[in-house]
Amino acid sequence: MRVLAIVPAYNEEECLANTVQELTQTCPDVDYLVVNDGSSDATPRICDELALSHIDLPVNCGLTSAVKAGMKYAMRHNYDAAVQIDSDGQHIPSYIPTMAKTMQNEGADIVIASRNLAGGGAVGARGAGAKLITAIIRQTTGATITDPTSGMRMYNRAMIEKLARGFDLAPEPDTLALLIRRGAKVVEVPAEMRERQGGTSYLHFMSSISYMARTCLSILLFQWFR
Amino acid sequence: MSIVLRIVLIFGALFALSIVVRKVKKSKIRIADSVYWVCAAVLLLILAIFPRIAFFFSDLLGFLSPSNFVFLVVIALMLLKLFNLACDVSRLSDKVEQLSQELALEKKEFGDNDEGKN
Repeated sequence: MRVLAIVPAYNEEECLANTVQELTQTCPDVDYLVVNDGSSDATPRICDELALSHIDLPVNCGLTSAVKAGMKYAMRHNYDAAVQIDSDGQHIPSYIPTMAKTMQNEGADIVIASRNLAGGGAVGARGAGAKLITAIIRQTTGATITDPTSGMRMYNRAMIEKLARGFDLAPEPDTLALLIRRGAKVVEVPAEMRERQGGTSYLHFMSSISYMARTCLSILLFQWFR
Repeated sequence: MSIVLRIVLIFGALFALSIVVRKVKKSKIRIADSVYWVCAAVLLLILAIFPRIAFFFSDLLGFLSPSNFVFLVVIALMLLKLFNLACDVSRLSDKVEQLSQELALEKKEFGDNDEGKN
């Protein structure tokens, strides 16, 4: 099973090198692709100097577009599975083989590394938001996703093609709900995650409000029409 | 606030909602961009269903008629969206320009390589 780790990186000069080093050391069988999302800091230089496998988006296009570029790469190079790994060191690469095994054994389309199943999970406002998303996904699809906002998700070949070709299919919880309703099998594995090692998150406070608005509206309203 | 205005608002808002849903269905607008329109339509729907809100604010602001408050809300919503659209267009123009510059530079570099081989 050929697995590609997609590492979207926007202004991640502090952690990118460590993240990729850890990834290649713990999972030598897993290929990776850093998607430099038009970073304005030293990220592209680090990619060149360390000769990382990477592509550069010429302008900043956002996380969704960066992951989509990675999915297109995975599709064109015939990978069996693609897993999204944050470049900030949050995600522990040693879970990738576990996820791949689960995907094969259980015939899953999507495998999510769940902090909640490992006894962790987001706390505070972020945890409340995640619980709300879990609840509305359960209401609309019947499936229980304990950690819908986990960024560490593995997609199989069929899902890679959907994400690479689809319109507005962001690697976000509302896409999970939509794919579940269309018959995708989603399995979660317990996984721990670290605190962010540095850099700035894609989800700042103000944007988290529009994130929640978009996610809830997408799951509660638009899911029925897409 | 006249009953006619309320009916027009309700039908207008529902019509707007149906258009937004159809565009999402046809992949003509991203969900992130549709959030504003759904919220605006729901806001007008609320104003039409609960006219007391308009009465309260027109009293507060000293308007002659509550319908004037409704018009003010619609105009404010439009100005807000218009300005945000102007910002988006600026950002997009900049990105398109950068993309064409990158493309041109890339082409030049590849062209040089080909000449070197020949």
